Amino acid sequence: MPAVRLFYLFLVTILLLSACSNFVPETAVSTTGNVNAERPYVPEIPEIRSGNAKGNRIPIRVNIPSVGINAFIETVGIKADADLATPTQNPWEDVGWYDMGPYPGQRGSAVIDGHLDRPGGYQAVFWRLGDMKVGDDVQVTSNGGKTLHFRVTRIEYYTPEQAPLQDIFGNVGGTYLNFITCAGDWIPSQHQTNLRLVVYTTFV
Amino acid sequence: MRRFFMLTASNLLLGVGLLGICGLAAFFGGQPFISSAHPATSPAFVRVIHASPDVGTADVFVDGAKLLSSFAFGAVTGYAAVPPGPHKVQIALVGKGIGGSVITQTLDVNPGYAYTVAAIGTQQSGLSLEVFVDNNLLSPGTAKLRVYQLSPDAGSVSVAAGGTTLLNGIGYQNASNYLTVAKGGYTFQVTSPGNNATLSASTMLNANTIASLFVIGMFNGTPKSALVTSQAPGLPGVPNTGSDPNPIVQVDVARSLAPWSWPLGLASLLFIGSGVFVRRVTGKR
Repeated sequence: MPAVRLFYLFLVTILLLSACSNFVPETAVSTTGNVNAERPYVPEIPEIRSGNAKGNRIPIRVNIPSVGINAFIETVGIKADADLATPTQNPWEDVGWYDMGPYPGQRGSAVIDGHLDRPGGYQAVFWRLGDMKVGDDVQVTSNGGKTLHFRVTRIEYYTPEQAPLQDIFGNVGGTYLNFITCAGDWIPSQHQTNLRLVVYTTFV
Repeated sequence: MRRFFMLTASNLLLGVGLLGICGLAAFFGGQPFISSAHPATSPAFVRVIHASPDVGTADVFVDGAKLLSSFAFGAVTGYAAVPPGPHKVQIALVGKGIGGSVITQTLDVNPGYAYTVAAIGTQQSGLSLEVFVDNNLLSPGTAKLRVYQLSPDAGSVSVAAGGTTLLNGIGYQNASNYLTVAKGGYTFQVTSPGNNATLSASTMLNANTIASLFVIGMFNGTPKSALVTSQAPGLPGVPNTGSDPNPIVQVDVARSLAPWSWPLGLASLLFIGSGVFVRRVTGKR
């Protein structure tokens, strides 16, 4: 067989094999969580909410023009394992405001989290949070109709264990709004990524 | 000329086919963006308690600048952000100025950490600053309690509430481990066996808070021993907002191959085959 034809056949074979290696074989998993699959089922940890969100300062929408994020804000509390909870009504499109902390615009550190991606590696609401730059504008609108502006001051990556919780959630030295999502590599044994991205902003 | 066009056509067919295969490979082989960690630039967070019996109301200076004025014995501040690194802390009697400092000490604080700094000691034993590293991670639905024994003559103390001993053997200049307690009203009793004396303080512990109980003062002297309570909001852990890029999919709601992928794959193979056929025909002529 001529060398050129042999080369093309080899190339096609290699490309087909690489595409097939990323195809996940289907395995039966019920939506209720009764698993007969190879991987263990990770039960959802119930959320604890404070019920503190009252009045007309509840944030309902965040707009970040520099990275094309415009999302509805749910209120979130804490999980039984003490971690900040994530949005549940529309987990991939909405973001979550930690309602046990201050309102955005109130002194202290308000916090909003959102998913980086969805199962299968598809984009979620904070897919482009890591593209933000210091100085970017963030707009948060409340249920009272007021829109507040914040400016990015820092962008940091941490492992979950080293994340400075006092800085993210407990800095009362000013009026801050901090955004959190995941980053880095997926660790299958831990069912999480190895990093967290925190974008710090200050009220302007 | 005819041969030229035939070869060009075969190359085009082969190229389109290979592009189609590449597109399929890229679609199924894509992974989320991978980043690496940056060094943290967070401040440290420091709160101060005045627990030195021999220092009256004082002014507190940090790196030569006044941080606190008229800081009374038994007062405790909230957490203030401080740049990480070493800082010269000086405490002087109110109005005496930095030159009249009775305590001068360099404290080295790390980024992101929370500290309690206690001004302690007597003229006899020596005045100093004791530094404790705090853990303000909340305990969901409950309170976390820590006891700081800052009384120079209390010895080793025990702490009880409702007739139940909560903590034992907390020595001077030491803080207990964190104890998780249910939210609600408590009357804490701190006993100094060496003095055969018990101090009491009542407080309401809220859920998801970090409660501190400071033992200060003198059991045999002045200012008299007392309990100081303080509560700070507990902090949650960071959320898990990532997803498995290779999940187990469900049969009836499967993330199946996109509907266009099989026709694209088949078309790609047909293009490649056609290209090879055209080349072969061209080569025989």
